Amino acid sequence: MPLIIKDEYPEKLFREDGKRLDGRDKYELRPIKMEVGVLENADGSAYIEWGNNKIYAAVYGPREVHPHHLAKPDRGILRVFYRMATFSVFERKRPAPGRREKEVSMVITDCLEPVLFLELYPGTAFEVFINVMDADGGTRCACTTVAALALADAGVPMKSLVTAVAVGKIDGELITDLSGIEDKAGEADLPCAMTWFNEELSLLQFDGSMDLDEFSKYLSLAKDAISKIYEIQLDALKKKYIEIQEEYSGGEKK
Amino acid sequence: MEHEKDEPIEDPTVDTSEDVDIDEFDDEETSRDLVVPGEILSEDTKNFLPGRGTIFNKDRSKIISLNIGLKQVKRNYINVIPLRGFYTPRPGDKIIALVTDKNPVKYICDINSKDNGVLKPKNTVTRGKPRGYRGGASDDQDNSTEKYEIGDILIVKVLSADRLNKPELTTVGKYLGKRRDGLVITIDPPKIPRVIGRSGSMIKMLKNLTKSNIFVTQNGRIWLKGEDLAHERLLIDAIRKIEEEAHTVGLTDRMSEYIENEKKIRGMN
Repeated sequence: MPLIIKDEYPEKLFREDGKRLDGRDKYELRPIKMEVGVLENADGSAYIEWGNNKIYAAVYGPREVHPHHLAKPDRGILRVFYRMATFSVFERKRPAPGRREKEVSMVITDCLEPVLFLELYPGTAFEVFINVMDADGGTRCACTTVAALALADAGVPMKSLVTAVAVGKIDGELITDLSGIEDKAGEADLPCAMTWFNEELSLLQFDGSMDLDEFSKYLSLAKDAISKIYEIQLDALKKKYIEIQEEYSGGEKK
Repeated sequence: MEHEKDEPIEDPTVDTSEDVDIDEFDDEETSRDLVVPGEILSEDTKNFLPGRGTIFNKDRSKIISLNIGLKQVKRNYINVIPLRGFYTPRPGDKIIALVTDKNPVKYICDINSKDNGVLKPKNTVTRGKPRGYRGGASDDQDNSTEKYEIGDILIVKVLSADRLNKPELTTVGKYLGKRRDGLVITIDPPKIPRVIGRSGSMIKMLKNLTKSNIFVTQNGRIWLKGEDLAHERLLIDAIRKIEEEAHTVGLTDRMSEYIENEKKIRGMN
């Protein structure tokens, strides 16, 4: 018998004990796991598990641009391909890239471009392929995070990493890191990404309704969450090398 | 005719690379601190300047790393020795190229960088003494691309390279030319200095212990030829191990231990 999941949302997004539907506190992040160098043939790659999101990112470049007319004579270009697997959501997703995927690709491109030195590589392209294997809300934030990680793994010079998280409002309460159901049924959703070069915002999208006082509260909430995720990012990048280092220096770091 | 014979496949005692005799990874000034893009290296901007792989932040109050690599403080410069990256051709580099295409006026070579290299036929033959005003002996081979075939492995030198134009190559020079034997493996280009070692110590050790010929080039490709397959396999395993552990200390000693060990395990003398 086919599994039928109705598109219905619960009336209340908080449980009776004050926690969220998945058992988290209001400002608690979902469990995050990151890894770099997962794909053999890519120049750089990374994998992230963010709650139920499972995402791969691969970076190639600098290399020739195809189609050729996209190449810029004075600088390189960054191309991001955000794609969702057909089985990543409840109802089969058609594999052709739709409006949403093109939008997210563009958003991630604009978000990552300021940290790269594209003017050093005229006529070439850096290409980031992001594949969402399993989606459960906040994929654009997870994708930005993992794409930055893959770029760093490829050895592309960057001013800093980029980290992203979504904050929002459900049942009139501010929360961090919305899951899929909170995203759809909630009142507001504010994905934002930060570069660490000058601690500037690199992505800020907004959907829903809130007033200005709330807005600044959202931003400080997001900043707290982002610094937590940044630590995980750094760990993931360094882990591979530090393990080898410790193995051969008798456990002590020189 | 002097041009009819092939380039000498002489015994290439090869390249302890005059250009890169400093092993940056094994420098005393290189700390083993692993840094990642965006990490703050120093806030003391009065005494230090950003060197390779580092920049100031916007208000010039911090020095920031651009790469994943090892931090190095050299005089008043702070550098980052990258652990990952790609090859950018520079004039004078000796590199291994693969002929991927040719037409009557040039060969197109894959040189493991963002652009393909261009090898013109006039750069594949040695010219005689200049005769008269035009200079150079005219020869049929001067202007035809019949010398090499698609798929040939060449050791070439980069004549010119910049950001905008395709690098131009030449096969005229010592050790340059076509390779008919041996194997070519590719490693991460930033780790090439580690395979060479400080003033060639690592490469000498590898050569002596595995009785092989090795030619290490700047674009991350290594040509090697051993006595037999077993030696070549051991050498490849050793190079892969060097690539993996490039950022650790005391690598040369550990590698010679490793090779001696493996020799016993594999039953080689």
